[in-house]
This record gives sequence, C-alpha cells and structure tokens, in this order.
Amino acid sequence: MSVGFVAAAIVVVAVNCALIYALRRYRADRGSEPREISGGRRIQFRVGAVLTAFAAILLVAAIVLTEKAREMPATGSTGLQVAKSGPLRIEATGQQWLWRYDYPNEAFSYYKLVVPVDTTVALDLVSTDVVHTWSVPDLAGKRDAVPGKSNQLVFRADEEATYEGSSATLSGQGYAPMRTAVEVVSPEDYEAFLESQKAAIQAAQDRVVGLIQTKQTP
Amino acid sequence: MRAPEVVIDDFPRRRARWIEIATSADHKDVGRILIASSLGFLFVALVDLLVMRLQLAIPENTFLSPVAFNRMLSMYGATAIFFFAVPLFLGFFHYVVPLQIGARWTALPRVSQLGAWLVIAGATVLYSGFLFTPSEAGVNPLPPLSELAFNANNGVDAWTSATGLATLGFVLMAIDLTTTLRRMRAPGMAWRRLPVFSWVAASGSWLMLVIGPIFLAALTMLEIDRNFDGVFFVGGSGGAPLLWQHLSWIFFTGVYVLVLVGALGAIAEVVSAFARKPLFSRPAVIGSLVAITVLGTLAWMQNMLTAPIGIGWMYFAMILSLALIVPFGLILFNLIATLVGGSIRMRSPLLFAAGAIAMISIGLAAEISHSMVAVAWQLKNTVDATAATHFALVGGAVFGGFAMLHYWFPKMTGRTMGETLAAISFWTMVLGTLLAFGPLFLAGGEEGQVVDAYKFFDGTGVDAYNLVATIGSFVLAIGIVMVLVNAVLSRVNGPEAGHDPWGGDSLEWFALSPPDPHNFDVLPDVRSARPLRDIREAVSHSTRRAEERRAPESQPVA
Repeated sequence: MSVGFVAAAIVVVAVNCALIYALRRYRADRGSEPREISGGRRIQFRVGAVLTAFAAILLVAAIVLTEKAREMPATGSTGLQVAKSGPLRIEATGQQWLWRYDYPNEAFSYYKLVVPVDTTVALDLVSTDVVHTWSVPDLAGKRDAVPGKSNQLVFRADEEATYEGSSATLSGQGYAPMRTAVEVVSPEDYEAFLESQKAAIQAAQDRVVGLIQTKQTP
Repeated sequence: MRAPEVVIDDFPRRRARWIEIATSADHKDVGRILIASSLGFLFVALVDLLVMRLQLAIPENTFLSPVAFNRMLSMYGATAIFFFAVPLFLGFFHYVVPLQIGARWTALPRVSQLGAWLVIAGATVLYSGFLFTPSEAGVNPLPPLSELAFNANNGVDAWTSATGLATLGFVLMAIDLTTTLRRMRAPGMAWRRLPVFSWVAASGSWLMLVIGPIFLAALTMLEIDRNFDGVFFVGGSGGAPLLWQHLSWIFFTGVYVLVLVGALGAIAEVVSAFARKPLFSRPAVIGSLVAITVLGTLAWMQNMLTAPIGIGWMYFAMILSLALIVPFGLILFNLIATLVGGSIRMRSPLLFAAGAIAMISIGLAAEISHSMVAVAWQLKNTVDATAATHFALVGGAVFGGFAMLHYWFPKMTGRTMGETLAAISFWTMVLGTLLAFGPLFLAGGEEGQVVDAYKFFDGTGVDAYNLVATIGSFVLAIGIVMVLVNAVLSRVNGPEAGHDPWGGDSLEWFALSPPDPHNFDVLPDVRSARPLRDIREAVSHSTRRAEERRAPESQPVA
C-alpha cells in the first residue's frame, strides 16, 4: 500500500505545483507576452519515456507485492500441526445477512471465525444467494463470494487477537450490520473450541428431536 | 471554386417559443435541451447525495431506514451518470461540434433529437419510480441481488427501463455525431486540423457506439431474467452472475473514460484560448486522448479484482491501467506546457479548467494505487475507492462541465456569466470537494470503512471523517447551486458578449452569438488548425492594404 501511496503523492504534488506555478508566473497582468512555442517530437518522446519508466517501476513493484500477497505462507512451529502438509480449509458462506463458517470436523459457527495462530488457513468463499465480499482488512484483505463460483483467500495470523471485519458489497437491507470477526487462538484452544462447538450443535439437535418425539412442539 | 450556396432560414415561427425549441431538430436546440436538463439533474443528484450524507453524518444514525438509503443510492448513481454526466457532454458535443467543423446542421438531426428526448423519457421513468418503489439494488445493480428473487418489486425494472432508454438515446446521438464528423466538415477541415474538442467528440461517440449496445444487451438479459424466467445471471442454474459484472463494467468504465476524455478535450481548448497560445503539441494531446479512450475502456476488469477471475486477467487489467499513466501524463504535461510562456487571462473558464485538472489529478493518482492488484485487494469497495472515483468524476464532469459552461455560455446566449459570482462559487466548490471526499481517503484507507453501507458503527474510528465529509458535501452543494444561479441570472442580465469574447481560434467563434439557425452565412475555406486566426489576419491585412491605398489621397497638400 505504501508504494501506491507514494506514487499517488508524487503525481498529485508534481501536477499541482507545476499547474499553480504556470498559472501565477505567466499572467497577462504581470506583463507576460504570448510566445508561440510549440513542442517538437523530441520533448514528447522524452516526457513519454519518463512516464513509461514511472509506469514500469510501478508495474514491477505491483507484481512483487501481488506475488507476495499470493504466496501461501507455511504453517509455523507454534501452529496447528495437522496443517503442516496442507492449509487448514474452512468454508465461509455468505448468506443474507450473516457469515457462516464450516470447519473440517463438521462443526460450524456464525459471525465469529475461530482459527489457530501461526497456521495457514484457506478460506473457501461461497454464497447461497447474492454476491458478498468478505473483508477483514487488518488480517487478509478481501474477496468476493459469488453464487455458483468458488473463490479462495489464504492467510496466516501471526498473533492471537480478534480482528473485526465486514461485508463490502451491497447485499440488501441487512448489508451494513453483516459483519464478522476473526478470533485467533492457540491450537489447543482451537481444538477445544471445535469440540465444544460440536457438542453444543449435537445438544441442540438432540433437543429438537426430543421436543418433536415427546410432542412438545406446537 | 465552389458553387454559390443559397441558404434559407425557416419561415417566421408561428408557435410559442418553447414549442419551437421542443420540436426542433436543430443541433443547437438539441444541445441546449440536453445541457439544461443535465444541469437540472446535477441538482437532483446533489439532493440525493446530501440525503445520504446526512444519514452518514453520525454513527448508527436512524434518519433513513436501510431500504430508503438503498433507494437513494440507486437513484443517485443513475442520476449522476445517465442524466447528468453523459448528457452534459453529449449536449456540448451537439452544440459545439457542428459549429467547430463549419457545418450548417448535423447529418441526421431527427436521430439525435429522438436521442435527446429518449434520455428525458428515461429520467421521467426513473423518477416516476418514487410513485411506486425505486430500485434498491445500488449504483451497479449486481445480479443476483437485482434478480426477481431478491428484489421482488418493480424498482429494478424501472431502473433498467430508465437507463436503457437513456443508453439508447446516447447511441442515437453518437450515430448522428459520428456521421456529422465524417461527412459534414467544412472544405479544408481535414482531421489533422480538427479542434481538440471535436476530436474527443469523435472518439467519445465511437466509444459510445461500442459500449452502449453492450449495456443494452446486458439490460435486456436482466429483464428477461426478471420477467420471463431467464437464467442469464442466476447463479448455480446455468447462469453466470459474473457475466453481468463484465458487461456492465465495460459500459461504466467506458463512461468514466468518456467523461474524463471529454473534459480534458474541453480543458485543452480553454487553456489554449486563455493563454493566447496554440496547444504545446496538438498531435500529442489528440493521440493521447484517443489512446485513453481505447486502453481505458479495455481495463474494465480493474473493477473486478476481488471477483473470482483468473490472476492473468487481473494482471491484464493492471498492465492496461498502469499503461494509462503515459497518455494521461502526456496530456497534463502538454496542458501545463501550453500555459508556460503564455499571456494568461484568469477568467472563469480557465479557473474551472484549472480546478478540473487539480481534482482529476487527485482522482487519477488514487486510481494508480488502486490499479495495483495487491492494493486493490485491500482498498476495493472501501470509501477510499468512492473518494477516488468522485475526485475524478467531479473533477471531469462538474469542474470540467462548468469550464465548458462558462466558456461556451456567451456563444449560446450572447452574454457572459458573472465573473465575481463565478470566482466565489469556484472557490466554494474547491473547498467543498476537498472536504467532502478528502476525508473518505482516510476513512477507507486507514479504517476500512466499506462502500454503500447505510450506517457505520460506533468505535470504528471513522466518526470525524464522516462528519467532515457531510459538512463538505453541503459546502460543495452551495458552490454548485451558485453556479446554476449565475447561469440563470446571466442568461438575461449578463454583460453582452460579441461573437468572439475570448479571442478563440476555432470556427464556433466565427458564428454570431447566439448563432443563426443556419450557423454561418459564409463557410470559410479552412487552411490550418486555427481557421479564425487566419480570417482575422486576412481581414487586418486587407484593411492595411486598403489604408495604404487611401494614404496618398489623404496626404495633406503642402
């Protein structure tokens, strides 16, 4: 991002300083007489060459940055050890207006994504209804979840913390509150979370079945 | 020698003036209708924007419901693009181009008349949406959100009909413009002598001939989906939501390019007239403008960098966007080099042209960083991108549009716009634009505030930015309203302008102000890119000759 910011700052400062200087220096009421100079080809080629060099530098920097962002980081020594061979795959489903996360052991959670620290996580983005964009700026940037298509976002959280995120494509009335949070915990806490989540889901399932069988449902 | 021409004006009019203008196919009347209506819709878009900004003034505001906000958002986008920006440029193209190329009328006047009224019909359909339910699907109504399953009322149908009518109108007007530019140029008006503004009218019209039908096709597919059980854009049932994104972004990117290229073409005319110098290099400016038209539109996937498209396509878009640095840079260099060594008169058209250059430079600089794929993954769909787009388009369509308005107003009305009010409104607008969109760079870039949301939450660190942006948008609105008031007042009360108030070099200043219905009594032979200067020199030369001939007779007898 800093490369982009520096490039933008250079452009804004250069253009506006030159513009303001020219407008002040050559005012008719300061006695400036029009001089009929017009540019030859050479100066255009020179300016064009400078601009091309500027664009080329930015292109190289952008490719380097992008390839770095695409590189799949390896799971570290303090991370989840089963993710050593390949990334931990979690499915993120965008649905109006909540994010659902499905973990490898068939546990799932809404709104809050829990991931182990120092572990490569591959988030498979899908949508059940309209286009959503998963956006957690401090952790991983953003990608779209498009119905009928799969999209992937790979990241590794290096410290235990909670990251706030939101949706970034208009998806209807509940778009603004359709937020998300990523909680980064130790691998042990992650395993414990999966177990408790799975037990809680099973308990909820048992309760529903029990209510129906004992005819307590309306 | 050419054959003598006979020119007959219409019979004296018998009907009321407004009926005459409304039924006229004269390019000047078509242009005036478009310019006036688009300035009206600028005001309407401004009201939409202010309502949304009021909602976003404080965190978790309950001034607007989510549905009401989404409706304002959809109205704002369609109004600003389809009923303000594009018609404003097409209106000026229609008014100015036939005059600049020395034509007495356009090639297909009834076609562009139909086009202009289709645009107004579209606007009527859009705003009649308030009678039932406006669209809730946003500025670019992405399917599946815009499909029947997720927007079951008629809002999206009204939106597609409105923008479809307008786009059809744009295409018809582009057909007239391209034909006129091809067939109706005055003797000697070769393409290499064509004024820059006529060049951008040509490239902009050809661009519209390409992108307009693409968008019409997309709209038709969406309507088939919504009303006849189609599955063009329905995800997971053989349809492709991404198809709409490609088709619509080709159109919207093309429109963005059309606005910027049109504005830069007008700025080139203004800069050269008020520096009393020809452009530093006409071929470089014209070549760059044409290059931007082609390359810029081809970079449409720059808007889809977070979508599931291949990394190769992302690099394709990035390379094209970064390549645009060269033609944009060359134009800005040539514009400033034209000022250098000039004799600059700081009148209102130049003021607005300079403001446009400044704002466009900020918007384009931000776009440079957004075109880098890794940066886009962070900043796409944040208000940082909103700010970048608004700096470029407010710079191009509002500042650039007002530069055109102040520059050609004397030609259209015979009177100049008030200079004092113009200067006050200009500086108000500069302050307003910086305050309204500047803070959004920080809110989006630093805090990741997302676009199009009807509210933002407490404790996300964007309260101050949004409050300043709301205040700034009101300042900007005051400035814009002052310009509109200035235009209305000056039409009747402004100081009278002759046929050539600025000392221009192109042929529109050869006609009367306002021009006769047939534009020119005599069509000049064009011998250079500065035909009016040639005429001025020929006249002064023959006057001098006549004086020399008279001189001996008037010599006092010794």
